[in-house]
Amino acid sequence: MEVLRLQNLQKSFGSVRALKSASFTLNEGEVVALLGDNGAGKSTLIKAISGVFPVDRGDIYVRGQKVSIRSTRDAMDLGIETIHQDTSLAPDLSIARNLFLGREPVNLKWLGVFAPLDLAQLRDAASALLKRVGISKKLDADALVSTLSGGERQSIAISRAMQFAAKVIILDEPTNNLGVEETHGVLRFVKEVRDAGHSVLLITHNIHHVFQVADRIIVMRRGEIVAEQTVADTDLLTVESIITGADMSALLKETRAK
Amino acid sequence: MPRAKRRSSLIRSPQFSSLVILIVLLAVFAIADANFLSPLNISNMMAFLPELGIIALGMTLLLTAGEFDLSVGAVFGLAPVVVMLLVQNGGVDIGVALLAGLVLCIAIGAINGLIVTKIGISSFLVTLSMLLVVRGAALYITQGFPLKSWDQPGFFVTLLAGSFSIGTFRFYTSLWWFIGLSLLAVYVLRYAKLGNWISAIGSNRNAAVARGVPADAVKIWLFILTSVLAGLAGMISAFRISAASPVAGTGYELEVIAMVVVGGTALTGGRGTIFGTIVGALMLRSIRNGIVLIGVPGLAYNIFVGVIILAMLILHALLQKNAARS
Repeated sequence: MEVLRLQNLQKSFGSVRALKSASFTLNEGEVVALLGDNGAGKSTLIKAISGVFPVDRGDIYVRGQKVSIRSTRDAMDLGIETIHQDTSLAPDLSIARNLFLGREPVNLKWLGVFAPLDLAQLRDAASALLKRVGISKKLDADALVSTLSGGERQSIAISRAMQFAAKVIILDEPTNNLGVEETHGVLRFVKEVRDAGHSVLLITHNIHHVFQVADRIIVMRRGEIVAEQTVADTDLLTVESIITGADMSALLKETRAK
Repeated sequence: MPRAKRRSSLIRSPQFSSLVILIVLLAVFAIADANFLSPLNISNMMAFLPELGIIALGMTLLLTAGEFDLSVGAVFGLAPVVVMLLVQNGGVDIGVALLAGLVLCIAIGAINGLIVTKIGISSFLVTLSMLLVVRGAALYITQGFPLKSWDQPGFFVTLLAGSFSIGTFRFYTSLWWFIGLSLLAVYVLRYAKLGNWISAIGSNRNAAVARGVPADAVKIWLFILTSVLAGLAGMISAFRISAASPVAGTGYELEVIAMVVVGGTALTGGRGTIFGTIVGALMLRSIRNGIVLIGVPGLAYNIFVGVIILAMLILHALLQKNAARS
């Protein structure tokens, strides 16, 4: 079932057409990898979907309904959660406080921003969540995020998105700067997220990771989507050549022939 | 967290080490000079403490959100000058004059906040310029002279600078202001939703914004709060001595920031402690008072203040390094 559909999204910055035209569909319970070289327009596309800035032209549909996304808050309310490598958590706050940042459970709601946090609920919900997502090492909900490893932080950020029943979880370079084991942990977690029924849009430089978790691949080049394939129908070399624009497999054959 | 772990993290926390140093300092001064703990001396310290302490509360919240304000000393000087000029020369009712002073402080804070957040200039540069503008304005409108003394008792004067006695101790109402505002600040930073936002903004602004936290609005309000508290402190001080001077509060900005960081609040944002700031305010106040009592020459005493602040900061840094390692 279709969850997110983009139709002819366009965005320019001054005279630079960062996004010439982008259309694609994301279905329920699938992992779609968005690939492309630096400057291909991936992050512009992500930022447009997650509400960092509005698009110049084009439509976004969530579950078939046309929506307008003007702020990150709008995107979150529509069930679109974006997780960036370094900007998703506040290191000086506890895991529990991070999990509910911006959506804190409070008592005496009428006090507005001065309302007291419901600390018991904050802690219980955080502990329950940590248990449910089964993050390998046992983590304390009161532990500061600054004491966690990169992989743990990534998992916390993803579980936060799951907790708020996000329909679409956008992962921006989730395995950057992670060790081998941590990378596998995060990729395994991505599969679990999909199996729980969420849709994942995965942005990465690492094609190997894509082939491990993705169902479909979308390749962007110079602000346009240039290829869209299911993982089963393609292979690493083909994808690599589409990204760079060079025909790698032909090149390889040539070298082999020599 | 298990109780033992919680206790050890409390002992390792910066505000705890500050508290230990404060107690040691108080003990040293008390032993060195018997007058240090006399009712008169304590009353004296408690009269001065709230004036810088109140500003330090606002500065703690602002620093926790990752910004700071160098214009507080100048606002401390300008606000009472404007209020007293209106009352003395303009014949304005004191209540109305105070309201005008409040609006002035709100405006200064809002300008600081708007320039920092909307134009994106560092708060160091913006508030340094504001310091010059505000101090310059105070000097210009008074032509550089302190105002005539003004001493008409009334509701507002009692509210800001009244005094009362408990036994042989004489306290000013400003102490109540400081206690009340401290409790409020502790509540906001530790227990309210807003405190969560303030810490998150200072810790990782982009993360907070990505979660829908209105980071710019929070910062602007904190700049306004800090300015208003600086103005309030200036009024309290001026009413206590029944006079306003355009050079009052010179250098206070650095002393206030010193109080805050000595207490354990991180200059880089994200980690703030009101309890630490209260300890820091007490510490700087008692150092200034104590080293005069034990006979350090007046001109040398900034050397001591500076050295003690540096020692505190080195201690915090070492503790933090230790905590990161374990």
